[in-house]
Amino acid sequence: MDALSEFVQEAQGLSEHFEPQVVFNIGPWGVTQYIIWLFIAFVVVLAVVLIAAKKLTLVPNNKFINMVEFGYQFVRRNVAEDVIGHGYKAHLPFLATLFFFILICNILGLVPGFKTSTGSISCTWALAVVSFVYFNYYGLKTSGLLGYLKSLCPSGVPGPMRPIIWFLEFFSMVIRVLTLAVRLYGNMLAGHMVLAVFGIATTCFIQAALFAGTMDLIAGLPSIAWFLLLVIMYAMECLVAFIQAFVFAILSASYINMAIHAH
Amino acid sequence: MDITIALAALKVVGYGLAAIGPGIGIGIATYGLCVAAARQPEMKGQLMGYFFIGAAMSEALALLGLVLFFIG
Repeated sequence: MDALSEFVQEAQGLSEHFEPQVVFNIGPWGVTQYIIWLFIAFVVVLAVVLIAAKKLTLVPNNKFINMVEFGYQFVRRNVAEDVIGHGYKAHLPFLATLFFFILICNILGLVPGFKTSTGSISCTWALAVVSFVYFNYYGLKTSGLLGYLKSLCPSGVPGPMRPIIWFLEFFSMVIRVLTLAVRLYGNMLAGHMVLAVFGIATTCFIQAALFAGTMDLIAGLPSIAWFLLLVIMYAMECLVAFIQAFVFAILSASYINMAIHAH
Repeated sequence: MDITIALAALKVVGYGLAAIGPGIGIGIATYGLCVAAARQPEMKGQLMGYFFIGAAMSEALALLGLVLFFIG
């Protein structure tokens, strides 16, 4: 069998490796590998933040603390202050928690052999529901039930159009939970699948070159190109890991802004 | 052709079609952000918020297509 058909066959069974598999059971609940990585990410976030908070000084003189403070300040400036504006301080802890948690989940998945818990729909769904409940709660708190429902429709819309616009806005408000969840899940899953496809291609062509009875180095040449593509995509995935955490945080901030500063 | 293979193929084609519009939309949104930020760099922070809302709304259609790919 030549390398190409082997590669196609291997790649077709790829999605099974991304299915959640039960590793062990606690009572009636099965614990999948994604839950284990979720808790590892949880521990890492707690460790990073608590260690940094313990050694906090007025002027950071330690590279690690500097890094954590830079991340926090990034959320504060670019996410909270720019998007929410007035009264952003109350929502800063929530946004920073979301950002750091998703970022560390994503980055953990980039280490070879590790898995990202944001690559499973259940985890991203839970994160999106948390964000959805949070901004709806603050919207209801600031303008009351009727006021909040009325504020979904932008002011200045002519009378007869109001119910239609209101319905469309309401629908787009409800599917926010779906889009937040699926955006993160789709990006992480698809990125890791692309990396896996290129990794499989590299190994298939190298195997064809080295272990096919006669040493046929020409057959192994495509693996160099596949490996270069793998490295480029890996760099791209490092960027995506950051961007998706940023996008999740900034969209939560936008939704909070729309809820509390009713137009 | 086997009906399951045809269905699987149609799902992929459908998702591809669903991704065209949002792709163009996000491209236009990014273009607008770049042009506006080049003219008035001090507005960039505020514009980013609008940009992300617009891009998220546009991207929602592609994501709905992706969901249909899984459940349809």
